Amino acid sequence: MDALVRLAFYCFAASSIALAGSAVCYLLFAFGWVRDRQPALAGAGASVGGPAVSLGIGAMAESFGRFATMLAWFSVLFQGLSIALRSVAAGRLPLSNMYEFSKTFIFLIVLVYLLFERWYGVRQVGTVVLPIAVGMALYVWSLPVSMREVDPLIPALQNPPLLTLHVSLAILAYATFAVSFAAAVLYLAADGRRIGWLPSPALLDDLAYRAVTVGFPAMTLVLILGSVWAHRAWGTYWSWDPKETASLFTWLIYGVYLHSRSLRGWRGRRSAVVLLIGFGAVLFTYFGNYIFGGLHAYGGV
Amino acid sequence: MAQASLAHSVPSRPPLEVAVDRVWRFLCSVRAAIWEIAFLAVLVLVGTLRGSSVPRWIADHVPFTEDLVVRWYAWDVFVSLPFMGILTLLAVAIAICTANRAPGIWTSISRPTVATTQGFLRNAESSARLTSERPRQELAADLARMMRAERYRVLTEERNGETHLYADRFRWGKLGTFPFHLALILVLVGGVVGARWGFRETDFIVPEGVTRELGHETGVSIRVDDFSEVYDELGVAKEYRSDLTILREEDVVSTGSITVNNPLTFGDTTIYQSGFGQAVRLQVADQSGALILDESLPLGPYTAKTNPDAPAAVLDIPPAGVQLTVIAPDANPANQPELDQLRLRSGQMYLQVRPVNGSSPLAGVEESVIRQGETVALGDLAVTFVREKRFTVLQVARNPGIPIFIAASLLLVGGLAVSFYFPHRRIRGIVAAAPDGTVATLAPMARRDWSAQKVFGQVIDQIGQALPVAVERTDREAAERAEPGRTSAQTAVGLEPIA
Repeated sequence: MDALVRLAFYCFAASSIALAGSAVCYLLFAFGWVRDRQPALAGAGASVGGPAVSLGIGAMAESFGRFATMLAWFSVLFQGLSIALRSVAAGRLPLSNMYEFSKTFIFLIVLVYLLFERWYGVRQVGTVVLPIAVGMALYVWSLPVSMREVDPLIPALQNPPLLTLHVSLAILAYATFAVSFAAAVLYLAADGRRIGWLPSPALLDDLAYRAVTVGFPAMTLVLILGSVWAHRAWGTYWSWDPKETASLFTWLIYGVYLHSRSLRGWRGRRSAVVLLIGFGAVLFTYFGNYIFGGLHAYGGV
Repeated sequence: MAQASLAHSVPSRPPLEVAVDRVWRFLCSVRAAIWEIAFLAVLVLVGTLRGSSVPRWIADHVPFTEDLVVRWYAWDVFVSLPFMGILTLLAVAIAICTANRAPGIWTSISRPTVATTQGFLRNAESSARLTSERPRQELAADLARMMRAERYRVLTEERNGETHLYADRFRWGKLGTFPFHLALILVLVGGVVGARWGFRETDFIVPEGVTRELGHETGVSIRVDDFSEVYDELGVAKEYRSDLTILREEDVVSTGSITVNNPLTFGDTTIYQSGFGQAVRLQVADQSGALILDESLPLGPYTAKTNPDAPAAVLDIPPAGVQLTVIAPDANPANQPELDQLRLRSGQMYLQVRPVNGSSPLAGVEESVIRQGETVALGDLAVTFVREKRFTVLQVARNPGIPIFIAASLLLVGGLAVSFYFPHRRIRGIVAAAPDGTVATLAPMARRDWSAQKVFGQVIDQIGQALPVAVERTDREAAERAEPGRTSAQTAVGLEPIA
């Protein structure tokens, strides 16, 4: 293995450790076994770095929360480094097979989540997002060792600008949809119940929506750029290939979400349920390479 | 009795008018549109799974599903009537629904209602009450000035001794829905235009050195001057390239070299590199020595009957009344080696000729294994294996729908960007005289919209810092969470001092 590729792998290993630590801390923060027995009530939500008393949880839990965020940033840092090193070794961004795709997905899902955490000032959503990222890391570790090598691109993928744009936008879309899924899960947990440590349902609903407003245009661009690329490489911009139609399926589900929300005024529980279905579609599209044939049947699986 | 009288008093409408009205309302219905999109999504899922191993798994694991799965694999969803029908219905619904919404959206942008009610402000999920000792007109003017500084359009209206205030921002963002929905229709139009007035020739096979007519009334031929491929150390093709000459009769129209991601365009037609394979150049001479065939045959469109890894070619030679079959060595000897009964080595070809009609002088099947450069006698024929070559697989397409598709893509992305990133923010308020000065009550039009309420809070913060007013903020949702059952009207969650 090339030295840079080996170093990139070590960075990924460090990132995985930080990720696992972060996920554990988020869970400790969330479930708060050290939580105050006093029913201190949260307002609109817990503020990042705010005083523990405003969280309605114990000081230790608050510390776990801060530690979780810090470890998540470490994970992003090491994963970013891993991607950068592998990019240098390969002469392109690592996006050409499931190993590389999933590594970049882990990087973006955590980064996107952390940006939302800062934007909204709540870290409870991390209790769902980080375990998803850990699950993806476990998946990457389970892939064949041979996939850790940098392989030359097959002719169909030899279009660096479109490969970078098309695939990285897909990862961005999936990452934001994962964040919206996490917010929807917590919404369903919070709706109609008094769970002090959770942010307000309105905030969770809004966070989920904002994530989709990033993910849906990204997914739209994935379909458009994929069509542009298909037209250039395969002579047709749409082939009804299973991966294409799976992406279209995902896009339509989020289209239902946006229409029902903006025009029918669906908010809250019904919207959250649509987001759960939407993320199911994302996973179906993501791992579809295992069951699909067709033009996208590469990726090393 | 009263109801009966009322029913009689309503004039009945013609059935046709009622029917048209119902159809129109159905096509304008957002609820129906959501179900249509959901149904389309289900069909897309069914079609997607058809291209996967899932139906096979179901048949293998769930009893009595074999017939269903066979039908599933046989049903091409994307050209089916239900799929085309729902796409058409959606396109019509999008057009009508969007046209129906246009006047209302335009009115809300150009001539919004300024006046509001105390009831709206009282029941808003969040609101702010600003108290000042200044006269009503002055406070209203200051509020308008402050909000204009925040890039809001501010409209005011005097009514019953009160100043009603309407402020909005990004009002043009509401128009983003139009390019987006127009784009969806254009994508479908582009597809129809491409299918109706374009063509796509897949698997256009041309052996190296051969010229082949394109057809489709183009009047051009494509000649493959050279084909080359580069392999990596694992034997995987890294790149393959065809050098082409496009001819119209004898004139050269265009020349170029194409690879998978670099097609060649001449006029409105484009040639794509799709694949390649092995070819063999053979010469066949009859008993007199006259050459009756000199061709490069692509090996690969066929495979040997008993071995799917052995590329083959079949060619009728009418002058001799025979059919010639050529089989190349097994391309993947590791896969099912027991099927490779010919055991050909690299550089060898298996040849077979058989009579195809009664006029053939050939009595039976003749066969032989031949090496490059050799000539063998098969019946009365002398067959020479001149050399191994390559054939290239091209796709040739003309799609006049592409410009429409590009325009649709731009509208799609632009419409989404405007809708999502420039949301229409609106604030209503009433400025009224109070016993000890003036009270302004403001509220955002942001029901269950956390972000809009947050933006409203920021605007109020700005006002509170800049003007000499006491600010009292109300958040019904937070109050509900703090103490369920208690209304926000009773709970002030923020009270800021006079700046």
